[in-house]
Amino acid sequence: MTRRTLVAAGLTLAALCPFVTVAGAQDYPVKTITLVTHSSPGAGGDIFLRDLSRFLGPALGANVVVENISGGSGATAVARVANSRPDGSVFYGTTPTFIYTTLLSEPEFGYDSLDPLVNVFFDPEVLYTAATGPFQSLEDVMTKAREGRGQWGAANPASLERQSLEMLKSVSGVNAAVVSHDGGGDMMINVLNGTLDMGVGEIQELKGQLEAGEIRLLAALTADRIPGYDDLPTVREAGYDVAVRKFRGIAAPKGLPPEVVAAWEAAIPRVLEDPEFKAIYEPDSLQPAFLDDEEYSQFIDGFAADTRSFLIETGVIQ
Amino acid sequence: MDTLLATIPYLGDWSLILAAIAGTAWGIMGGALPGISPSITMALLLPFTYVMDPSSAIVMLASTYVGAEYGGSVPAILINTPGTNSAAATVVDGYAMNKQGKAGLALGISLYSGFIGSMVGLVLLMALSGPLAKVALSFTPPAYFALGVLGLSVIATLAGDSMAKGLIAALFGLMIATVGTDPVSGANRFTFGNSDLLNGIEPVLVMVGLFALSELLAQAALTRDDQDRARSRPRIEFPDRKLARRLVKPQAIGSAVGAFEGVMPGAGGTIASFMAYNEARRWSAHKDEFGHGSPEGIAAPETANNTVAETAIVPLLSFGIPGSNSTAILLGGFLIHGLQPGPMLFQRSADVVHSLYAGLFISIIAMVILGILILPVCVWMVNRPRAYLNAFILALVMSGVYTIHEGLTDVGMLLIAGAAGFLMRVLRFPFLPTVLGLVLGYLIESNFRRALVLSGDDYSIFVGDWISIVLLGLAALFILGSFAARTLNFIRGRRSDRVPV
Repeated sequence: MTRRTLVAAGLTLAALCPFVTVAGAQDYPVKTITLVTHSSPGAGGDIFLRDLSRFLGPALGANVVVENISGGSGATAVARVANSRPDGSVFYGTTPTFIYTTLLSEPEFGYDSLDPLVNVFFDPEVLYTAATGPFQSLEDVMTKAREGRGQWGAANPASLERQSLEMLKSVSGVNAAVVSHDGGGDMMINVLNGTLDMGVGEIQELKGQLEAGEIRLLAALTADRIPGYDDLPTVREAGYDVAVRKFRGIAAPKGLPPEVVAAWEAAIPRVLEDPEFKAIYEPDSLQPAFLDDEEYSQFIDGFAADTRSFLIETGVIQ
Repeated sequence: MDTLLATIPYLGDWSLILAAIAGTAWGIMGGALPGISPSITMALLLPFTYVMDPSSAIVMLASTYVGAEYGGSVPAILINTPGTNSAAATVVDGYAMNKQGKAGLALGISLYSGFIGSMVGLVLLMALSGPLAKVALSFTPPAYFALGVLGLSVIATLAGDSMAKGLIAALFGLMIATVGTDPVSGANRFTFGNSDLLNGIEPVLVMVGLFALSELLAQAALTRDDQDRARSRPRIEFPDRKLARRLVKPQAIGSAVGAFEGVMPGAGGTIASFMAYNEARRWSAHKDEFGHGSPEGIAAPETANNTVAETAIVPLLSFGIPGSNSTAILLGGFLIHGLQPGPMLFQRSADVVHSLYAGLFISIIAMVILGILILPVCVWMVNRPRAYLNAFILALVMSGVYTIHEGLTDVGMLLIAGAAGFLMRVLRFPFLPTVLGLVLGYLIESNFRRALVLSGDDYSIFVGDWISIVLLGLAALFILGSFAARTLNFIRGRRSDRVPV
């Protein structure tokens, strides 16, 4: 309120401010790289970039900072990056959100106004139920839906999680309500109190409940079994042809110089091999999944095409 | 008892004390700036906690939350503008007392009630986390819907002279709440192709516009300086023994409502403060003072929202589930330090939990001390000549709103809300029902539709469990009761039952 307090608080914060070290300059064209995310501080996308940035700095020979730009379901952050100079200084941390927002809202700058540069991780999605509930396996849940009516939960209305449940529903032909929520926590409560037969989420966000034995994993929505969870069957093994890939990667403004592309394509596999970085991402079951510029562009186009047909099928867009 | 004994040693930890004081000061400041919500205040601080040790980082963020929930009442009382959503109910009687030249006492009551509420909340957090967490777990979508409806029934009290105008104002708020992303399908609604509207319209924008901007416009119409109000002495006055005794009842109501609302993810401080205000008025021996500067009308909502600031941490610690934007940021603080809140936290990182409790205690003490130091300066500031003060307020709210997304769309929305507020003022529409409709609209709509998806469009789900039946029954009772009272008053030709805004 008062100027005195403001100055005092400013000084306190300045004192706590982490200082940025200047890494030995190699041939990366700029000194500071900004990674832009639409995630708010502390959310999954933000933590991913902040962890990555610590190892990327030395690997690229530049300072790497993370900037959170909220608003517009991610559209504001995409617009900021799309309007930046393609000199290797500004990048966007991708998640499926930027494709959903583009397709649903058609903002001025969508996923197609960026160049998908490299993919870093796939974040495995799993199906789970309350440990105290009646369901022991995915088949139990499916049987209930086949014989009566299932109640399945997804964290957000326009999300890969919901899409995966709708796909499961359509390949199995069972009768289930797919209930979307205001985020994973909201849904977790409805799984724990038995309102929902099962929910879908990422291992990292389920960890607290999992370790406490409050929830039971039913199946993985990945193509192969998840390392570290080798007993958990995939949904495909259970006989339903559904697998999704929640990606975490980097996109750039269009027209990036080839040497910057090459620098990133060289840096990411090296960073992923770093034992210190492994110690951070492996407990969260993030799967290293490096894709280079060309592969990632194809991957994103394919993902967007699948998502578009899903949204049209479910009547969300025309 | 074990918890208490384990917590005490941390009270002397200097790094925790410093973190708690810095966090509280930062929180009070952020909460007091109109347009900056507690969650934004915490988000701004979060990057600075990355380099701190986990306990200090968590304590600093939690103290910020405590400070911000309190800080919101300062502008509510002094400049008729709630600094946070949950301070909206404090505006009515707080600003009325200020106009009577009793700003110092109003601020004292709010600080005193904030202290009581926080302490009750902390005791509940430490002693009853387990049972309270069970309450949170028993709430299904239909129960949340019923809770929202119960919250809306408060409109009957807030409507003021005309029930019709109150309902129209509430409907206006509910309509604003439909802008953004559809909660079930994810499609866009009323965004007019503007991606800045995808996340909906922030209640804080509308509130600042309705209250602050329209107040500035109205004051610009006054010909002589300070015609409408008495000056307050720049001194903070705590309630004397007689008044303190009178405040026990509203504070008890406030803590009870706050404890209940705080533990339920999604409900939060705003509903708690409105309901506490409503109940305090219902059970008060001085009903007619409400709306005209009743000390109880400040004590109830301020106790409630500060209780919420503590009990909202229950679902976060017990399940790892954040119930509000603010606790979501706190969750981020845990995750960044590699801590996973949830059932295992108490076993694995008991030291962090106990230092959090200790830090919260320190921050409550710091809140009182900082309040005593800062508030007289604030009162002095609002005693400056009107013209300077109003220009300062305008700059303050504009810059505050700009910082939410660093965009001009929000500033534009603020101006529109200000113009709408002025129009409502001229036509004598009350603001509070609009705020209530806006805050509750999304909660009610999303849970209503979620419940129907769950049941396959079977409406009996809304009376399918006891919690929903009780909450809906209470709402019906409140609405019918107030309707009956109004009819009776009308027949008797008496119109004493007013709450002008």
